[in-house]
Amino acid sequence: MEFGLLAAALIAAVCVRLTLAAEAATVAPEQDSGRLRDLALVSAFVGLGVGRIGAMVAGGTNPLSHPLDVLILRGGVDTVLASVGAVVAFGIAARRALVVTADAIAPAVIAGLAGWHAGCFTRGACLGTPSNLPWSISGPSGVGRHPVEIYAAVLLAAAAVVALVLLKTRHARPGMIAGLAIGFVSGARLATEPMRLGIGNSPLWWYAGGVAAGGAAVAAAIVVGRHRG
Amino acid sequence: MRPRLLVAIALVAAASACSAESVPIGDVPALPTTTPAEVHALLDASTLPVVLNVWASWCGPCRSEAPLLRSAAAESGDTVRFIGIDVRDTQDEARGFIAEFGLDGIEHYIDASGAVPNDLGGRGVPITFFFAPGGRLVSMHSGVLDERSLALGIDEISRTVP
Repeated sequence: MEFGLLAAALIAAVCVRLTLAAEAATVAPEQDSGRLRDLALVSAFVGLGVGRIGAMVAGGTNPLSHPLDVLILRGGVDTVLASVGAVVAFGIAARRALVVTADAIAPAVIAGLAGWHAGCFTRGACLGTPSNLPWSISGPSGVGRHPVEIYAAVLLAAAAVVALVLLKTRHARPGMIAGLAIGFVSGARLATEPMRLGIGNSPLWWYAGGVAAGGAAVAAAIVVGRHRG
Repeated sequence: MRPRLLVAIALVAAASACSAESVPIGDVPALPTTTPAEVHALLDASTLPVVLNVWASWCGPCRSEAPLLRSAAAESGDTVRFIGIDVRDTQDEARGFIAEFGLDGIEHYIDASGAVPNDLGGRGVPITFFFAPGGRLVSMHSGVLDERSLALGIDEISRTVP
């Protein structure tokens, strides 16, 4: 792991910490900031590990014969597997109060993702497809490009604020904030995907995955809301 | 006991799924040796933009970026020339690496002394240079390539074609 990725991860961790501090007075005593922070960290590490191993297997590297390659995150992390791994790890760790904990941690997780995207300047991944817009950033050849990671960071930061307000005002039904959070993250990914550069990937896959995740989140939020209501 | 069994099955499945893209080492020809002067001549004469990747079979990070380079060469090989410079390595190890990762779609050379990357202005392995047609250096990426950096580099040099 290199310093650019570490710096971006540090920005993400600071965003998580600040958001948890902002909501500290709102969450139930058993959901204290320290526990939520630990849950977020465990989920993130498990997700990264699963996603990295998935990317290694997909690329033809045997994780058993080259175990240390798991640490080379820059070599690729399968985002879908990482998301699944993080959600499953969170589900296991918070199983006794899953819905309440998911609501409490959702704003911090979105803020952390926003911080990770904003850290694109340190990890050298801000630029997307060409653009003539005034705020475009020039690449090495002088072509203006969408600062696509900054777009994602702004969208997610706005979503984190909405989730935090919902949490603090206590207007949302149980599960609603977590469901909306998944929808926000999917929506931000859908909105920015066409502006991202990639190798061999089609954004259509992400459209399908994002719509499915958003739909499932809303459905789950409604079901949980009715059950609790 | 059951969770451990499931983990073991998952690991075996993961291991067996690997190396699906590999080719027999016997199909990989010996790599021609090269020098800084020859690489400069090759870049100067190229009418296509060039991605020049410096790698070695003993380099762990090179293993991580190899699948990405294979995919990029398969996707953009018609419009971009992909060159691999294997440094401080042996023929057998180099051919084994190419076979393991199915990198036969990339044009490889061996530089036993490691002089080429130094001459191009880079240090360490891996390192990747992006050249416009005619050999003008557009950008350089030190360390492991990620998907966004490689895609950006390729897109940048593709836009230098007249």
